Amino acid sequence: MAELDLPALAAALGRRLRRAGLPVTPERSARFARALSLAPPASRSRVYWTARAVFVSSREEVEAFDRVFAAVFDGRIDPADARGDPNAPAPPGAEAGKRAPSPGARSAAPAPGALRGWATASAQRTGDAETDDEPEREVPVAAASDRERLAERSFASLEPHELAQLRRLMAQLELATPRRRSRRVRRSPHGEHIDVRRTIRASLRTGGDPVRHARRRRRTRPRRLVLICDISGSMEPYARAYLQFLQSAAGGGAAAEAFVFATRLTRLTRALRGRNPEAAIRRAAHAAPDWSSGTRIGEALKAFNDRHGRRGMARGAVIVVLSDGWEHGDPTLVAREMERLARLAHRIVWVNPRSAAAEFKPLTGGMIAALPHVDALLSGHSLAALEAVAEAIGADT
Amino acid sequence: MSQLPRAGAEAAVREVAPDPETLVTRLEEVDYLADEGLATAMFLSLRLPQPLLLEGEAGVGKTEAAKALAAVLDTPLIRLQCYEGIDAAEALYEWNYPRQLLRIRLAEASGADVAEEELFGAEYLIRRPLMRALEHAGPRPAVLLVDELDRADDDFEAFLFELLAESTVTVPEIGTIRATHPPAVVLTSNRTRDLHDALKRRCLYHWIDYPSPEREVEIVRRRVPGTSQRLAVEVAGALQRLRASDVQKPPGIAEAIDWVAALELLGVDRLDAAAADRTLGSVLKYRDDQELVRAEGLDALVEAGHG
Repeated sequence: MAELDLPALAAALGRRLRRAGLPVTPERSARFARALSLAPPASRSRVYWTARAVFVSSREEVEAFDRVFAAVFDGRIDPADARGDPNAPAPPGAEAGKRAPSPGARSAAPAPGALRGWATASAQRTGDAETDDEPEREVPVAAASDRERLAERSFASLEPHELAQLRRLMAQLELATPRRRSRRVRRSPHGEHIDVRRTIRASLRTGGDPVRHARRRRRTRPRRLVLICDISGSMEPYARAYLQFLQSAAGGGAAAEAFVFATRLTRLTRALRGRNPEAAIRRAAHAAPDWSSGTRIGEALKAFNDRHGRRGMARGAVIVVLSDGWEHGDPTLVAREMERLARLAHRIVWVNPRSAAAEFKPLTGGMIAALPHVDALLSGHSLAALEAVAEAIGADT
Repeated sequence: MSQLPRAGAEAAVREVAPDPETLVTRLEEVDYLADEGLATAMFLSLRLPQPLLLEGEAGVGKTEAAKALAAVLDTPLIRLQCYEGIDAAEALYEWNYPRQLLRIRLAEASGADVAEEELFGAEYLIRRPLMRALEHAGPRPAVLLVDELDRADDDFEAFLFELLAESTVTVPEIGTIRATHPPAVVLTSNRTRDLHDALKRRCLYHWIDYPSPEREVEIVRRRVPGTSQRLAVEVAGALQRLRASDVQKPPGIAEAIDWVAALELLGVDRLDAAAADRTLGSVLKYRDDQELVRAEGLDALVEAGHG
């Protein structure tokens, strides 16, 4: 350990972590240097835990951190080597590290399905899939006429360029959940509560008699909006449009939570935020490993309830499930998990694009199981239909 | 970013935690068994000093970690439990209105005047956890536990962080109170929402996992003195299986201790299906979970330990 070049190691670690997507700031690097001086690096595990406490700030980052740490620390990268051009091909060691088999590395595997193909093609076209800074691509539109033309068209029948236009129109959808009372208060002349602090101050002037009652009222805040979207094979015609919908909900003013599932549940909230919607959608498309595969609605709902809903995300929230209800798994699980969800949520809106068809009957196993716990079933298959969904989200009953 | 580098921890803290190994030993002396990762994070948090954000499943000992830290420092643990809508009046300070009114009435009755400065003086201030933590007189810092920060609104999060970064609080009527011994801060989150990046950037982070079966045996035997090694091992095995199963609320360390304590109380020295049946309520708190485990068979739950 004594011969270790710590400053070089720290610098290499910081650089590689940043490249792996961890938010490494100069402040953090400086903190790491100070930490090393406090806890002298007596062993590999000491350096590991010191670096991890400083650089990692959520459980999800641990895996990427471990990979980078192993590559840098175990000498598979010469720290001096990595100082040059960030676009230079990574040293062989780094690649080996990246390819280390791990459960989360699935994103590297090619995924089937039109959307994944779209994501890749689009990434190539613009050169870099990850940057948020690229200008938005110009879509030649006159919004009003587009709205007219696209409003009633089923998402399944849209061309790629129409989908791009659609994104802008979706961004105009107002997704406002009903408000709930919070415990925070604000001054209000006709509020329902007395503001004791201000009343006392005023009563000083009237000999302790609270003649004038300063009032306040509780602030209200919008309920949380959670969108859970099915991206399995049977939903593929709608997946791209719905992903755009998720993006405008999560990235826009509604600050919604967004999840997708086919065989497993993926939280997209973080991926979908950012200044550039196109980049956000691409990030999201890459984040979910199971595009266009089979559907396990029950298990996805269970994963949501277990990992997020029960912890409080679903409590009092408006939940929107976008799925055609084709369940490959056990419908009784769907029923059980929907019941759990209904106990937590304020309102559940189910969006099933197949329900737009005149002859539609909710006959799929998952749909039958879910229906008793659903407050509103809507088609949401076109822009106009999505407006109805926005309305249902805001309904205050 | 523009934060001034702090001078590092005070001498009294350096004495308590000269290095991570010593901190592990000290924590052990107060019956808290920390692994190297957690101990390193706690050590750095004390010595840099920097708030420590702890995350982990319910019941892995996040709150206990803060308590143990306070015990090691031999200072009070000041706990701020967050909830939706918590605000400065509940976290920082509030005026004692009934006393103020009485004072005004008293002055009125005796025909005297009461000055506003008196009425809004330190005497009439109700100190909430954040203020108590900042005002702690030392010589070692108090431990401030901000529990379940994710349940508070995000504007409260911002308020809290400004306060902690500055280590000062301004009461308009009194003036600015500056902490002489800024508290050691431990935050916990259950991840119902993402905490703000700015906050995360300022914190050290550690994810606490469930303890390994061996460590859980140690913990349980320490917390329930007189427990046989065999019973502790059997319980730890059953807990492993419960955590891997489909239960909604996997048992934490507190449930492990409760369970062993219940078994001890009943004079049980081996965990068999009958014993598990009688005591299941101390480890699974949901009816659904109990039904699930019973349906799968209590034999399966306890069996492997006997094989």
